[in-house]
Amino acid sequence: MAVVEDELSLVFSALADPTRRAILERLAHGDVTVNQLAEPFAMTQQAVSKHLKVLERARLISRIRTAQSRPCVLDTVHLDTAAGWIARHRQIWADRHDRLDEHLAGLQAKQRWDVATQ
Amino acid sequence: MTGSGDFTYRRVHRASPELLFDCMTTPEHLTHFWGPVGTTTPVGNITIDLRPGGSFETTMVSDRDGSTYTMRAVYVEVRRPERLVWIEPDVEGGMRTTVTFIDLHDGRTEVVTHQTNVPAAYLSAEARAGFTTSLDRFDLYVAGLGTE
Repeated sequence: MAVVEDELSLVFSALADPTRRAILERLAHGDVTVNQLAEPFAMTQQAVSKHLKVLERARLISRIRTAQSRPCVLDTVHLDTAAGWIARHRQIWADRHDRLDEHLAGLQAKQRWDVATQ
Repeated sequence: MTGSGDFTYRRVHRASPELLFDCMTTPEHLTHFWGPVGTTTPVGNITIDLRPGGSFETTMVSDRDGSTYTMRAVYVEVRRPERLVWIEPDVEGGMRTTVTFIDLHDGRTEVVTHQTNVPAAYLSAEARAGFTTSLDRFDLYVAGLGTE
């Protein structure tokens, strides 16, 4: 469990930066090389490479080693893990409010019964 | 609390703000709905000292194996019927939960749960410093990436 949490903190940490989120959005449209990434972000290749390393460490992207241009590829498995955590947290509150609704209906039914039998 | 992960959940209930506030702050009510699915929270496992600085503790029991999980919180603000704030100091950085009860004046009340420092346990110090996207919007963002 600790290992999973640690991976998740790497993911959240990597996603904390707006440039890195923009890079991921760009990658969602297709694989690109570092050169192609540097252009729209008006950044040096060095700066882009630094961001890519963080994304790679979080396993949000992978690099194709065999190709000379080493294009970046989006790896959605870890993104899904992060989204899954949020979805589960949301589900806990949704379920809680579902049961609260049932409880309120029970209270209101009892109140109507009390009034009717007074 | 800038730079922490935010989480917001909204729900409209057909009840008064007073009743909903009481449901959220009374063991006899909470026992009916508090614990996540697959757990129960017996009345005896709920401690409530409804005042700023007072404790709010619940021990949920797993239906499957009887294992327990205790949530330890301290009330920060208690303003019946419009606002309730507690903080969980055990969660790294102190997760803060604010529940706001908005009277819709048609017999319904909107309950807005806003949490900050979520999920603190999952965020590194670096992420907490830079994590400005709310988890909600972040959730949509991630979902959007998946569909492209």
